[in-house]
Amino acid sequence: MMKKTRKSSEQLGRAKDPSGFLKSLVQAGLKNRIFLIIIIAVLALVLFGTMPFMIGVDSFFIYYLFMVFIYIVVSQGWNLIGGYTGQVSLGTHAFFALGGYTTALIWLHDITHTWYYFDPLVMALSGVVPAIFAIIIGIPTLSRLRGDYFSFGTLAAAQILQIVILRTTAFSGGAVGLRLPAGGFTDLGRYYWTALLLVVLAVVAVYAITKSRIGLALRAISEDEMSAASHGIHILKYKLLAFIIGSFIIGVCGSLFAYYQFIVNPSSMMSLDRWMFYPLLICVLGGNGTIMGPIIGAFIVVTLFTFGENLVGRVHPMLSGILIILVMKFMPTGIWGLKDKISPRR
Amino acid sequence: MEIVIQALVNGILFGTMYGTAAIGLSLIFGTMRIVFIAQGSIIIFFSYLCFWLFTLLGIDPYLSIIPIVLVALLLGVAFYYGLFKESAALQDRISSLLIAVGVMFVAENFMTVAWTPNPRAVVTTYGFYTVRLFGIHTTLTRLIALGIAILATTGVFLFLRKTLIGTAVRACSEDSEASSLMGISPHRVNAVAFAIGTGLAGIAGINFATTYSFDPNYGFDIAIKALIALTLGGIGNVGGALLGGIIIGVIESMASYYVGMGWAQGILFVIFILTLTLRPYGLFGKISQKA
Amino acid sequence: MANQLLEVKGLAVSYGDVHALWDVSLQVEEEAIVALVGANGAGKTTILKTISGLVRARKGEILFEGKPLNHLRPQEIVDMGITHVPEGRRLFASLTVLENLKIGAYIPRARPFFAESLERVYSLFPVLQNRKNQRAGTLSGGEQQMLAIARAIMARPKLIMLDEPSLGLSPILVKTIFQLIATLNEQKARILLVEQNVNQALKIAHHAYVLKTGKVVMSGRGEDLLANEEIRKAYIGGMAVKRKK
Repeated sequence: MMKKTRKSSEQLGRAKDPSGFLKSLVQAGLKNRIFLIIIIAVLALVLFGTMPFMIGVDSFFIYYLFMVFIYIVVSQGWNLIGGYTGQVSLGTHAFFALGGYTTALIWLHDITHTWYYFDPLVMALSGVVPAIFAIIIGIPTLSRLRGDYFSFGTLAAAQILQIVILRTTAFSGGAVGLRLPAGGFTDLGRYYWTALLLVVLAVVAVYAITKSRIGLALRAISEDEMSAASHGIHILKYKLLAFIIGSFIIGVCGSLFAYYQFIVNPSSMMSLDRWMFYPLLICVLGGNGTIMGPIIGAFIVVTLFTFGENLVGRVHPMLSGILIILVMKFMPTGIWGLKDKISPRR
Repeated sequence: MEIVIQALVNGILFGTMYGTAAIGLSLIFGTMRIVFIAQGSIIIFFSYLCFWLFTLLGIDPYLSIIPIVLVALLLGVAFYYGLFKESAALQDRISSLLIAVGVMFVAENFMTVAWTPNPRAVVTTYGFYTVRLFGIHTTLTRLIALGIAILATTGVFLFLRKTLIGTAVRACSEDSEASSLMGISPHRVNAVAFAIGTGLAGIAGINFATTYSFDPNYGFDIAIKALIALTLGGIGNVGGALLGGIIIGVIESMASYYVGMGWAQGILFVIFILTLTLRPYGLFGKISQKA
Repeated sequence: MANQLLEVKGLAVSYGDVHALWDVSLQVEEEAIVALVGANGAGKTTILKTISGLVRARKGEILFEGKPLNHLRPQEIVDMGITHVPEGRRLFASLTVLENLKIGAYIPRARPFFAESLERVYSLFPVLQNRKNQRAGTLSGGEQQMLAIARAIMARPKLIMLDEPSLGLSPILVKTIFQLIATLNEQKARILLVEQNVNQALKIAHHAYVLKTGKVVMSGRGEDLLANEEIRKAYIGGMAVKRKK
């Protein structure tokens, strides 16, 4: 257990504690549960971080993990909105696409004059634009629409965005889309590690929020809005906050995906199936409103769909559909929810 | 000018199909709070059934109404008891939506693989007989489709108003707990509602097959428009759902004529949002207050 | 003790982790009006909901005419002869008065007698006959309460459970409702009554139970409890008044 910790500090190049301190940390971890979780998380990070060196950076497995990471990030974003705060948004694909398109447009029009590939500034801005969109549609929908109506509203807003993108050909490239200038696909490495980094950032961010007072407010809102309001929680403010942060996370991920694809167009970036249903399914399958839920869910869903696509080909949506039905029927609380006791039925 | 009126008429006719789908959706959503997004794909499925009965067995599409509707009713009951019973009882929106999505995936994929994605249509010998009414041309099949849609809507309306089970469906829609205190079994009522929903999908499917060409991927599009029609009409309002569908059909047709199909879709979604935020109980206002 | 219509023994009910009822026992005999009184949140509604099957008990037994009710669904319990008029009435506002009454007689046991039950209901509540095609949501508070009780009668129940029938009604209407309950009882209906209006409830009840935070703290004959000092101080206030015969 101890040998891997030394590798991580050198190879990832991230700020880590010196290994001596780590040793005592591990010992403390065996006694304290939170430390144990951190140890496991660090180990997992090390494992995934070094994976490309172990099996070759262009292997299919690395691609598979890359997709898992992408979906973890998007799902964590949705989870914050839909899982923790209970606002089931069906407009996830809009945030994702906005992130990608922002990256493409900034680059194409040379807006930031910074170094072009994997520019953190551009990626951050790619998160800001969806966040602005979230504010624009969030304020009317979150304040006036409840439950199903809110979901429909977000879906409608997303579809309107898609139509606007499709129609404003001069600006957005219409159905063909925009090609990212410069840069070629060298290897999967940089995408993989950036995705891993995003996973860490997203998980840490969501974790920090849920453990904070904000998270408490969000949970209260999702359980009983009226009661929360009567305790002085400003409902709209917190819902909007979750919406904005969630959309930011999703947008940044969209940016990464745009870099990976070298092209942004509606069919790849705004695909209802891939960027709306799948994250929803991932969160529900893994366990809504939990941190581990989207992670577990992403692994399962991406595994099934990637390998399914290769093994069963044409009929894979049918099998996916059957899978969704079975899971929702028998495990509606998700896998992570299985660990809780089932409360007595009426 | 004539083209405009033609577009209007086409819109109305197409709209009745959205409306028929919307009534089914409204019933299912009203009683069980399930957004049955697979309604469109199920409609297409029945269009295929109609097509195959016609092409392989030579059965006239309008004669196939009886077997198709029967199958549709049974399918609805099967869907409810097989798939949606648990999520309906728990009022679990996300689960039921995902199950409906699953059904949609299965249906679409099955139809694409089994029957190819090529467009189909049911073309009868009398199908192109045009009728001239008040100066506009329309085919006989479209008129018949309109008639069938109106009949079906009236049938459902009468069922809900005049029969005891229909009244029970409405009661359960409003308050399922109180209904159980009246001795009404929520599951049975839900199954009836679902069956009517899919039954209407069967009728819409036949109408669609006889009036337009279809392929397996139309389903989602139809379902979304039916959803918009549903919100226009107000939940639980049978006539409203039909009218909502017609309005959607007309707007789509007219907007397509003036600004093109793409923007027309956008306009529909804008109307969707406007209805949701400004008239959540539908265009026709609140029907009831809680007692 | 042999002729118990309804017998509840040792009932314990929780909503999640919150205990609503601890070890509650009560009986309803033939020919009786039994009242459950107590402050808000004492658990009175929970008892009714458990009996009618809307809520499941963690522990305890409910016997109706000697048969256990514990695992039956609400529809089946109605069929056995218990109707529950819930708190807030829960009428079907979008249905007409007549439709509400039709739904009241939904169970197969009551359907053949629909015309007969309807006539009885119209004679008890003439105003409902006048408004039979009106939407239930448009009725006044008092009329709605009458409709709720009428709807319960349509099921030809052996036991009617009323939850706060006087809620939200003016004092005159409250008197009317309670007179009605007494009349129903004279016509052989057995009634289990939950009320916050302790005064009226105890006046009319043959037997009563006082509930506090999920437990039965006192029980006895209606008039005895009415005269009881503690009860008066806690729930009624004012001097003891001789009950008019």
